[in-house]
Amino acid sequence: MNSNFDLNEYIMHHVLNSHEWLLPFVSPIPLPGVLTSHALMVLFGCTIILLLFLVFYRKNERVPTGLTNCLEALIVFVRDEVAIPNLGEKDGLQFTPMLCTIFFFILTLNLMGLIPLFSTATANINVTFSLAFLIFVLLVFGTLLRNGLKGLIPFFIIIEIASILVRSVALMIRLFANMIAGHMVIMSFLGLIILFGWVAFPAIFLAVFMYCLEVFIALLQAYIFILLSAVFIGQMYHPDH
Amino acid sequence: MPPEISQHLGQVSAGAGIGLSVVGMGLGVGLIFASAIQSVARQPEMAKQLTTLMYIGMALVEGMALLGVVFCYLALKG
Repeated sequence: MNSNFDLNEYIMHHVLNSHEWLLPFVSPIPLPGVLTSHALMVLFGCTIILLLFLVFYRKNERVPTGLTNCLEALIVFVRDEVAIPNLGEKDGLQFTPMLCTIFFFILTLNLMGLIPLFSTATANINVTFSLAFLIFVLLVFGTLLRNGLKGLIPFFIIIEIASILVRSVALMIRLFANMIAGHMVIMSFLGLIILFGWVAFPAIFLAVFMYCLEVFIALLQAYIFILLSAVFIGQMYHPDH
Repeated sequence: MPPEISQHLGQVSAGAGIGLSVVGMGLGVGLIFASAIQSVARQPEMAKQLTTLMYIGMALVEGMALLGVVFCYLALKG
């Protein structure tokens, strides 16, 4: 047993934010100034989404093939399964672009966290806070614009805002906790190998199993985030049913 | 109480907290999946709607339980 090895330190080093970009096989690259590794990952994620939709997405095809087909299937899924059933025909079509943007953003960041070159930006509570803050602002001011003050006074305005706040905080915590917990489990399985040596060889299979589960969770969390956002927006916009 | 004993007590209770969160999550998610499977077995044509509801419920239960796990882990670390 390797007694010099600190499992806690190892897990936290791989999960938490840092000022250097961790790379496999080479020493970490220090990042300048305010740029941290998770901020870098957000920039990478935005670049990937922009590349996917501005360069690789061929809009003029009558019958979409290849990557265009794949992306279109996801967009139609968001429109038909999430937006329209929860928000109604008219609002659903209006909200589809926003829900699609959030969906692809979270999905890209979640899946990037599973590639060894990158780290998970959604396992940082600041990133999930900013995503949930968007929903919070939309729930408060969108309802004000849409329904006027009476949209916010089913009970009392303070209770209503408190309930919106709780829902947004739950959105934030859920994404953050799911992503960080999965990576912590994978890292603790891999840390067992360093701790115990060859005896812990079966831990690799457990780690691979958790990795496969993480791919599913990455998809599920992106779906759940927009689904719950759509449900909450639908409740606030159409309070009577 | 000597300081080292209280520190060990803190670590033990943080570890027990992780276990309790997972017990709660297991119970909750198990109940949700059990009733979803039962409902689909009774009315297979409702399967699509029930799947959505099942995932919403699962995410609601799991999110709070994972919050407990993560915070207990952070307490264990400190």
